[in-house]
Amino acid sequence: MHKPVVAISALILLAACTSTEGGPRPASGPSGGTFIYSAPSDPQSVFPAFVAEQVGAVVIDLVFDHLADISSDLTTTGDKTFTPRLARSWTWSPDSLSITFSLDPRARWHDGKPVTAGDVRYSVKVLIDPKVASPVAATLSNVDSVSVKDSLTAVVWFKKHTPEQFYDIAYQLYVVPEHVYGKVPLDSLRTSDVIRTPVGSGQFRFVQWKPDVSFELDADTANYHGRPLLDRVIVTPATDPAARRTQVLTGQADFMQNFPGDLAVLDSSKVARALVVPSLQYVFMGMNPYAPKSNMQAHPIFSDVRVRRALSMAVDRVAMLHNVFGDKGLLGRGPFPMILSVSDTTVKLPPYDTAAAGALLDSAGWRRGPNGTRSKHGAPLKFSLLLPSTTASRQKYSQLLQEQFRRIGVTLVIDAVDPKTFTARIQPGQKAGDFDAVIQGFQTDPSPNGMRQNWGTAGIGLEGQNVLHYSNPKTDALIDSIALSFDPAKAKAYAKRAFQQIADDAYAIWLYDITEVEAVNRRVTVTRTRADGWWRYLGEWSIAPDKRIDRDKIPLSAGAPTPAR
Amino acid sequence: MIVRRRLAARLGQSFVVVFIVTTIAFFVIRSAPGDPFSYDSSRITPAVRAEWRARFGYDQPLTVQYGRYLWSVAHGKLGYSTLKSEPVANALVEALPRTLALAGVGLLLSLVIGVVVGTAQAAGRGGWFDRISSHVLLVLYSLPDFWGALIVLLVFAYWWPLLPAGGIVDAMHDYMPRGQAIADRVRHFVLPLASIILLTTGAISRFQRGAVLDVLPADYLRTARAKGVPESGVVWKHALRTALAPAIVLLGVLLPALLGGTVFVEQVFAWPGIGLLATRAIGSRDYDLVTATVIAGAVLVVVGNLIADTLHAVLDPRVRE
Repeated sequence: MHKPVVAISALILLAACTSTEGGPRPASGPSGGTFIYSAPSDPQSVFPAFVAEQVGAVVIDLVFDHLADISSDLTTTGDKTFTPRLARSWTWSPDSLSITFSLDPRARWHDGKPVTAGDVRYSVKVLIDPKVASPVAATLSNVDSVSVKDSLTAVVWFKKHTPEQFYDIAYQLYVVPEHVYGKVPLDSLRTSDVIRTPVGSGQFRFVQWKPDVSFELDADTANYHGRPLLDRVIVTPATDPAARRTQVLTGQADFMQNFPGDLAVLDSSKVARALVVPSLQYVFMGMNPYAPKSNMQAHPIFSDVRVRRALSMAVDRVAMLHNVFGDKGLLGRGPFPMILSVSDTTVKLPPYDTAAAGALLDSAGWRRGPNGTRSKHGAPLKFSLLLPSTTASRQKYSQLLQEQFRRIGVTLVIDAVDPKTFTARIQPGQKAGDFDAVIQGFQTDPSPNGMRQNWGTAGIGLEGQNVLHYSNPKTDALIDSIALSFDPAKAKAYAKRAFQQIADDAYAIWLYDITEVEAVNRRVTVTRTRADGWWRYLGEWSIAPDKRIDRDKIPLSAGAPTPAR
Repeated sequence: MIVRRRLAARLGQSFVVVFIVTTIAFFVIRSAPGDPFSYDSSRITPAVRAEWRARFGYDQPLTVQYGRYLWSVAHGKLGYSTLKSEPVANALVEALPRTLALAGVGLLLSLVIGVVVGTAQAAGRGGWFDRISSHVLLVLYSLPDFWGALIVLLVFAYWWPLLPAGGIVDAMHDYMPRGQAIADRVRHFVLPLASIILLTTGAISRFQRGAVLDVLPADYLRTARAKGVPESGVVWKHALRTALAPAIVLLGVLLPALLGGTVFVEQVFAWPGIGLLATRAIGSRDYDLVTATVIAGAVLVVVGNLIADTLHAVLDPRVRE
């Protein structure tokens, strides 16, 4: 492996693993400052049950709170690594089918009312009630019900004992106030105005939302876990990446995600600098086992494992990584992001060997013709590669793959489409996807259970995430074993075998893990970030008094939140 | 009486145009792959997506959806925006004035500048001003809208950071004193407005130059010169009035292109108008919002053409006859 790849891998893992302590730390240092986040859009919703996109996720994570916080290494099994948030403590029933949470009596909603066990019960109800049809309902599929012992004690009942049941309820659930939202019938919540003025118990409180202009949050100075160091966070939407880039490079904004273009600009900028944040996403070139849009007829090219392996061996993944990301890339190692606790660097992948790749294709009957391209029974070795047109890195990869396949006599046709078309073509329901090959990225959960959706037979079907319709009973059994392992070491061992099985089946060429390079203003002190969201520790970020500019010196708004419009 | 009848006929035609455009938009966006609830997230179950489709009626046959939509629009309801989580009417009410301000002021200034420059070019035909300005305007005229706006952004917000790089106001606008707040609005208005003017002025001035040159040899102008009217008076007083009518007609023709250009300008400068709204709505397959923005655009074009035709009739007696 090239040294820079090792270096950046180590850097990212170090960044993610410097502390396993979860949750914002008590604020230390002088408070103050305004942080402006230039976002790609307005939040689509700011009510936890309806948030399915990232800007909304940032807002709800700052405004609302969990029962407990996950550790920064994102361990999801058991409860040992979790730290208290709204729940001060918890106890398990002897049969492990219920957990009793004792709420922190200091916890208050931003309107001053106390957080109660009834709020926990209501929050679960909102998420799992079919009338609400929450896009994140599946996260609480193992929760049966919640009973209230007293105003500060909630008992959560589960359908079955699983390694991740604590994670499900303590971290996947945002607790929302019943006295604010409970007046609205559940089936009207989505279209109700009340969910546009969020009232939570998180470190930041809602101030105002001017649609398409700004979304403003202030520090909750009376927060039971201490106030955040920043006074104010303002989200300003700018659809065009060039506009966001200019805003952050000129100091109009303090932060943007996924800085586009030449990263050296950030090294030389006096205003902004790069912030590398690992993510839970990995990208690969998938090969469809079935003919496009067919009723599962074998694909004329990819049904042969020799061809799939040959294509894997024909590409120099390390060189491609350098070509696209310079020294800031992270090589794909298999069907997982490296940041995941069960990730494994020892999965054996087909080596880069173009001579062996050619020999494999020869043995599979795909022989070179006089013009250098391969064919079999008169059919050329030619296939299309589907990718979203909006992702620059995938576009670059498609061109590099095209060139490397050409060298071994394979013709690749690039098929770049808009994101919704992309989604529709990879999720055609019960039929095979409408593509030969695809450059796809999977955003996994911290939980290894996400593998089931991406690579398990259970993920096949109407809008399932297993876009390749990959199915192997051995892999399924191993994924089940991961999910049922209470011992993290055993889970990791099962995961390793599952990863190797998927790699051996060779339906994918593992390209890269997504490491986001964000741009942040140099006056902002960033303590730490986390792979499941750059903003998770925003309450700890600060702006030193000697670096403050005019907007940092504006005092906090007084009084109650103003209406949304 | 004739005027009223003509106006009624034009209004009828306009209604038909808007209806046809609405219908096309309705079916085209629904024939595009995906729908408002085809999120690319493993967490959302097919059952939840199906539930939302059912609630919004997107699981019904297209003809049923179309019938319901027409009924709803006829009753003044434009539907619900899944992208913005609010009624479509609210989203339009917020966005429309911003686009009207940008496009309206932009068009007015473009007209004034284009007419003045075009007339000056014609008056000094072949001179240094005509040659230089013709080349400059040809370059501006040829610039793709998106590229032109990006260049303006790059030059005046990044390389030479005189003005803000997007948005209608600064994030701290609400904390500014009144005078500073007004200045802030103006500062944010300048670059998108300049982009619109740059992209539109070229066409108007080239057209105006030709129109004035066509008029200059006319008999009545020769008579004016013979009567001792100075050449500047001939051009700027007599020729301009006649040559202005075609430019007014051009406004009607330019309006759809201007709205198209506004889409790009709004996107580059994060100007939250109808164009930006439409772009985002199309990207997220927000059916009702897409159709509503198309209706709004069609109404703007139709009304703009009506106004242009009316002004043309006022300026040119032959049209009235």
